[in-house]
This record gives sequence, C-alpha cells and structure tokens, in this order.
Amino acid sequence: MGVISIIFTAMLADNIVLSQFQGICPFLGVSKKSDTALGMGFAVMFVMAISSIFTYMVYHYILIPVGIEYMRTMAFILIIASLVQMIEMVIKKYSPTLYTSLGVYLPLITTNCAVLGTANSAIDIGYNLINTFALSIATGVGFLIAIFILSGLRDKIDKTDIPKCFKGFPITLIAASIMALAFAGFSGMFS
Amino acid sequence: MEIIKAMLLPAGIMLGIALIFGILLVILSQVFSIEKDSKTEEVEKLLAGSNCGGCGRAGCASFAEALIKGEAEVSECNSTSKKNKEQISLLLGKSGNIGEDTVAVVHCNGGNFALDKFEYQGYGDCKSAQIIAGGTKECPVGCMGLNTCSKYCPYYAIEVNQDGYAEVNKDLCTSCGACMSNCPKSLITRIPRSAPIYIACSNNCKGKDVRSICTHGCIGCGICERICPEKAIKLVDNLPVVDYSKCVGCFLCVEKCPTKVIKKH
Repeated sequence: MGVISIIFTAMLADNIVLSQFQGICPFLGVSKKSDTALGMGFAVMFVMAISSIFTYMVYHYILIPVGIEYMRTMAFILIIASLVQMIEMVIKKYSPTLYTSLGVYLPLITTNCAVLGTANSAIDIGYNLINTFALSIATGVGFLIAIFILSGLRDKIDKTDIPKCFKGFPITLIAASIMALAFAGFSGMFS
Repeated sequence: MEIIKAMLLPAGIMLGIALIFGILLVILSQVFSIEKDSKTEEVEKLLAGSNCGGCGRAGCASFAEALIKGEAEVSECNSTSKKNKEQISLLLGKSGNIGEDTVAVVHCNGGNFALDKFEYQGYGDCKSAQIIAGGTKECPVGCMGLNTCSKYCPYYAIEVNQDGYAEVNKDLCTSCGACMSNCPKSLITRIPRSAPIYIACSNNCKGKDVRSICTHGCIGCGICERICPEKAIKLVDNLPVVDYSKCVGCFLCVEKCPTKVIKKH
C-alpha cells in the first residue's frame, strides 16, 4: 500500500475511534466544547506521532536484536507514559489555559488505548519507519476529525430539547454511533 | 544459568530504558519549570485542603487561584476554619465577610420512632428508597436512616445512630456540604458551630397529624416561642425557627418542649 493510501485509510476508512473503537474515553470526555476538543485532538496526534517513532526504534533496534519482542507491551507503555509527561510539561508551560481546560484528560492519554493500539498495529502489519510515521499521524488526524465533529454535534444538541432520559451521555453515545455508521460509508474506498 | 540470563537480560533492558526516560524527564522538568506564584501556595496551605468541592471549584488549588484573582470570596469555603480564613483575608489584603464557622445538622430525630409506610427491601440507600412512593417513612420529610449521607461524607462526620436517624458529629464536621446536597429529603442545613440548640424536625404539619405518624415530631404548639426570654424563636409554618444572633443558650425551650424536638447542640 502506498503512503497516500495508508494515510487516507487511517484517517477515514479505518478511523481509530469510529471504526476501531479505540480512544473512546477522551472522545466522549473532552468533546463538550470545540476549543478543548481541538486541543485534545492535537495533543493526541502529537503523542501518537512521536511515540510511534520511538516505539518503532525501540522495537526494531533494541527488542528484536536481544530477542525479547514479548516485552513490547511493557516497553511501549513506558515510552508512551514518559512522552505524555513531557508533553504535559510543555503544555503547562506554554499554554496554561489549555492545560487547565484539558485537566485530567491529558494524563489519560497515557492509558489511552488508541496510542498503544496504533503502535501495536504498526508493528503487527510490519510497516517500515516512514509508513509507521504516516500511519500514526493520519490516525491522529482521524481522531481529531472525529472529536471535532462530535464537539460540534454536542454543541448543537445542548441547544435543543432532548427528552430527559436521553440527556447527557445517552444522546452523545447515540450521536457517536450514528457518526460511526456514517464513516462506515468510507470502507474499502482507499485500498 | 540460562534461565537467570533470560530473566535478567529483559529486566535489565527495561530498567535501562526506564532510567534513560526518567533522567530525561527530570532534566526536562527543570527546563520547563514554571514559577508558581508563592502567594497562591501560601493561600492554598491555609485552606482546609480537603478538595471537597463545596465552593463549586475543582479543588483547593483552583479555589486558591480564584481567590488570588479576586474571582472568589473567602466565605465561599465552609471547610476552612475561621482563624485560617482571617489569615487568608489578611494575605489577600481584603476585609469583609468571611462567614461564620458552621457545621451541618440533621433536622430530624424520628428514626425508629417514626412510622414506616413500607419495609424497604431493596438495593441502595435513601436515594433509591425515595424513588419508591417518596420514601419509607409516613412522614414526607422524615430521615429514612439508609446511610446516603454517611456514604458521601469525606470526614466520617455523619452517621445513622441507634435510634434510626442520622446525626452529625460536630467535632468532625467541616461543613463541606456533601451530605446536604445528597440528602433526598433535604434535611441537613448549616448552623453556626457555636449554636447552643437546633430544631430536630422538618415537618410543617400540625398537632394530631404529626403525632399520628411520629412521636418525636414537632406539633407546632408554640411553647418555645412564648417562653424564650430573648425572643430568639419564632414559629413559622408550624416549625420553630431560631435566630442564632439572639439565642443565648438558656435551654428553657429544650426543657419545655413537649415532644423534645429542640435539642442541645
């Protein structure tokens, strides 16, 4: 598969949240307002991109030569956790407003299955470094698209009259599932 | 030997990676450190530090920041002691209302002496029982004693006692408000910590109606109002209301109340 095909598949056809159902926690938790959703999307994209490079290099240059590929889950979690800590420090210093609005969800990217999932799928499919990087950036952009659309939807939903039993999370989940159905229309388009 | 090598090598490599990242994080934390406003830290130290959320903010740290910015009043925090609140006001260069030192109190002493509408055999607590026909007690505002309040109290200050109603331990209570916002009967309010008495009933009905459903309820006779030498009690809607600025703690009302609804604090 060419790089272009990888990018568009990861962004649309195989969207990490809407098709692979990973990373739903920040997807539902931070999508209340559009600006925090945007900030969160960019943070996840950044973490995914950088961690994919590091995990690729650690896997291929340390774990495989020593023969301990089975340690990859532990090693990846180590790397991702440290990277998220660093990014948290940078955000705290350069944008305190973004830091306070993301709140607890920023460290939650550490345990976000989307980041670990992307790293693992890149290894499993066996991409080289360029393809891995393309995959992770595109996955991050896909996450950004999904969370941004949902935040816009939630903004509109807040202004309408929803039956009491659906208010809050139920209607959000329904909206997200309809989004997932819509994105299923992309399947098979780019391969 | 081989096995030890197979165990030590991965462990060693993991440790190595962890050490590298750890050192990197330490270095970066110095590079990216921000100067925390020392004033904020001082204010934060004086606050109660329980992160109860009673002020409506995310925690003591954000309340301290709001205080510094001038977006919040010191009186909004019920948990901090009066002494500390005065110090915070001094630090902020403000004078003014810092609020009374308050505690929570449950306005009911019915418990096992109040008649039950039905026996609740179900999952959950007062909140769940309330959903079924308005609660287990005949009295619409009676304490059901199913422990919702004690579950929410972060200080273990409120408990259902042996007589079946909830009681606040005033030494442990910090007036954070967790029990107040969670009691489905809205039985808990704040009174000054130094208050000598409180009214242990919330039922607005009169005389016979109350007696028929609870032997410990206020019958609205008005003896307390007539007998108070300071005119600190008024009967409003068949329930006594105490003006704590006038009450001196003579306990005449406690003695004369026929149903013993007025209690010593």
